[in-house]
Amino acid sequence: MEIEYIGEHLTPGIIGNAFVVFAFGFALFSGISYFLGEKHEDESWKKMGRWFFRLHSISIAGIALSLFYIIFNHYFEYNYAYQHSSTDLPLRYMLSCFWEGQEGSFLLWLFWHAVIGNVLIRTARNWENSVMTVFAVVQVMLGSMLLGVYVLGIKIGSNPFLLLRENVDMMNIPLFQNPNYSSMIEGTGLNPLLQNYWMTIHPPTLFLGFASTLVPFSYAIASLWKKSYIEWLNPVLPWTFGGIMVLGTGVLMGGAWAYEALSFGGFWAWDPVENASLVPWLFLVAAGHLMLINRNKNEKPTSLITTYALTLLTFILILYSTYLTRSGILGKTSVHSFADGMPGQLILFLFLFIGLSVWMLFHRFREIPKSKEEEAFLSREFWMFIGSLVIVIAAFQITFTTSIPVVNAIFGTSLAPPINAIEHYNSWQIPFSIVVALMMALAQFLKYKKTTSESFLKNIWLSIALSPLVTVLIAIALKMQNVILIVLLFASVLAVTSNTAFFFNVLKGKIKNAGASISHVGFALILLGALLSAGLQQNISVNTSGIDIRMKGEKSNANLDNILLYEKDTLPMGPYLVSYSGKQRSGVNMMYEVRYIEKSNGQVNEFSLYPRIQLNKMMGNVPEPDTKHFWNRDLFTYVSYVNQDDLTGEKKEDYQVLDTFILSKGDTGIVAPYLMVLKGVSRDVDYEKHKLSETDIAVKAILEIDNMHGVKSTLEPILVIRENRLYHIKDQDEDLGIRFSLTSIDPEAGKLNLIYEKDKNKKEDFIIMKAVIFPFINVLWIGCIIMIFGIVLAVYNRLSNQIKL
Amino acid sequence: MKKLHIFGIVIIAVTIGVIISTISDSSTYSNFKEASENPDMEFMVVGKLNLEKEMSYDPETSPYFSFYLIDGTGLEEEVRFIGSKPQDFERSDQVVITGKYQDDGFIASKILMKCPSKYNNGNNVEVKAVSES
Repeated sequence: MEIEYIGEHLTPGIIGNAFVVFAFGFALFSGISYFLGEKHEDESWKKMGRWFFRLHSISIAGIALSLFYIIFNHYFEYNYAYQHSSTDLPLRYMLSCFWEGQEGSFLLWLFWHAVIGNVLIRTARNWENSVMTVFAVVQVMLGSMLLGVYVLGIKIGSNPFLLLRENVDMMNIPLFQNPNYSSMIEGTGLNPLLQNYWMTIHPPTLFLGFASTLVPFSYAIASLWKKSYIEWLNPVLPWTFGGIMVLGTGVLMGGAWAYEALSFGGFWAWDPVENASLVPWLFLVAAGHLMLINRNKNEKPTSLITTYALTLLTFILILYSTYLTRSGILGKTSVHSFADGMPGQLILFLFLFIGLSVWMLFHRFREIPKSKEEEAFLSREFWMFIGSLVIVIAAFQITFTTSIPVVNAIFGTSLAPPINAIEHYNSWQIPFSIVVALMMALAQFLKYKKTTSESFLKNIWLSIALSPLVTVLIAIALKMQNVILIVLLFASVLAVTSNTAFFFNVLKGKIKNAGASISHVGFALILLGALLSAGLQQNISVNTSGIDIRMKGEKSNANLDNILLYEKDTLPMGPYLVSYSGKQRSGVNMMYEVRYIEKSNGQVNEFSLYPRIQLNKMMGNVPEPDTKHFWNRDLFTYVSYVNQDDLTGEKKEDYQVLDTFILSKGDTGIVAPYLMVLKGVSRDVDYEKHKLSETDIAVKAILEIDNMHGVKSTLEPILVIRENRLYHIKDQDEDLGIRFSLTSIDPEAGKLNLIYEKDKNKKEDFIIMKAVIFPFINVLWIGCIIMIFGIVLAVYNRLSNQIKL
Repeated sequence: MKKLHIFGIVIIAVTIGVIISTISDSSTYSNFKEASENPDMEFMVVGKLNLEKEMSYDPETSPYFSFYLIDGTGLEEEVRFIGSKPQDFERSDQVVITGKYQDDGFIASKILMKCPSKYNNGNNVEVKAVSES
């Protein structure tokens, strides 16, 4: 029986779906037109291609607007809005809904390709036909990821405008028997981890970086097609370095987000998803440097084939990393692999592009110019080439270990990733970093073609003399012991000083030409910051609570990384005294106030940190750190465990009689862990408050409870005599979970009978917390900014030179 | 021999080194039987939580968080983890633990849990035990 649904908003979905089909179709037409335009060198085909690509771009914008309209108006009858948003979602995070879901992230990728494509239409000139053909083909493939149609029983793509009642996982629930169901549903909300400002800018930046790698790829394919093996290098260089800048920024932003919002304990954890975006960046960096070599050797290119291979591989690795992160294959190994997708389609595209690249390169292999001449040993290009290859091997090492699940899937093995993954990666990446840093330090002083050793030494001797000194000073000051870290320290210090020296000595401080030196200084500072902050990080939250935490049967006395803090308790931790002063609910977060007190040179420095637990019924509770930034270190704090019951906010009391006391004035009783003192007896009872009549006789006992933290509270249980019968009015302290009643008084002996009850459910609130000091992490962030600035400068300089030409 | 050839050989050597080191560093997903036969050797065990049995975590008295895990072969074992209980541990439907058999049972040093992906959002959480330094 068909149900007539009421209250659904179907129009935006119909419009959106039409745009999905248009976007796919126009990309296809654009590709065909541009292809024919290139083949027949025909202007009218080119114009057709242009217009189709523009219509395609408008359609992409149409899809995005329709989807945004649905999310903005909370039309939860749509699957996408239901899964990724909710009514209470703040406006500033509505855009984030786009990149939480798979369909949205493909849409974002398509969008950036469309933007870049339109820039290329204006700037690519005689490369337009061939480059845009590749662009359009990629758009056809990505566009098909949004189709959500069945062809011969195979589902192609996943449609962002799917209705909730059409979702195969949901369609059979009874809710859809109700014609007016759409007014009754609420979205499941955005993953609270994404409700962070980094997450509103990190994904679009990263995807712009991904999209920018398509330009070098397209130029490479186009140049093989057009057989102009050298001419493509000039127009592609600014795009390549622009891509290095944007993708690099995106990757670093991901690290910044992880540092700020995740309790990984650091900015980089060699997580497979992080690796998946770092590897294409490394390839792009290597490819860019090889392009520079070949462009500067104009007639006699020596490493063109490697340049092609790396350029093509960069984009293929982008597809591969999309497959890794979106297909769910990382499942068992990654902290954030995103859901099950459509691996089949992605694998198909991956192989199509690998096939296309291999076929083109193989076809033209003999024609690609190769110089017979060998590079001079003391030439810049030789060492740039070696440096690029080292970067590629480093990237290969990361990919190989990250791909263990893929190896398992192909060969049916059951390899598990290295048990100590960070150590495994570091043991390779630190030596690679040393080599790369050394080459960055030395290669600039070599000239293209050939350099005499005298002129080389003349410019570099000061840096070489100074760096060991600086290294030794830093190593002693920071008590560094690990030899390989000291070597890396030396290499990065040398890279910083020599590139700075190059800027002043050789370039005479002309900032216009200094893009390379500045970005190399930035990269060396990133290495330096990573080495100091991660290599010398110090866990200060070792257990000092006095509670025995030695393992039974464990020979070694394993110290806990975490500290157990009772509310209001103060414990020494590292150079600080810490106390947990209480918690407070703020929006979706439960904030735990941790007070730090630092005493140094007689001065007392106090501050509070608020590590939190994000409460989310859908995704689970997530701890988020809070960090205090000092100029020379960060103090990173997060709660690793809290009492779960407290998070629900429900309070159940369960008082049980524990003891009876017979006391005289001044006597004490133990109400563990506190001490109670009977201060006295008084007739001064508030009759009105306790609703007593004037004929009643009331006596109260005054009890003082010392909670050992300097706070004393008073309880006043009352005994009432009414018409020869005894009544008692209990008094309790809810914070302590203690209740007393006064049951009888023996006036002759001067003794009081008291009943002591304790709330069984009342435990003292506590948190288990971890605190880590990251020394000099600011060097890393400064390095990031300097590197990005340097690349921007280099791209700007290259573009302005090209316009002059 | 050209200089580049020498570097080529070095590169091939390093590449082989990378592959060998990755394979030798990597462990295999295993089960409790194999782990109990090789005490003091680290294994990764994939399994499901037995929610019918009690999980105990009382940080005020014991450093362990303990729970029962059923591995892929259906074998159940009590696992003790030196560290705090991961938030929402009960909700995870698949758990990967890294650890080894010691004197009196299986001690986990790392827990990776996968939460149900019913919201199309497989949310993995990794928890590391304390370093035994």
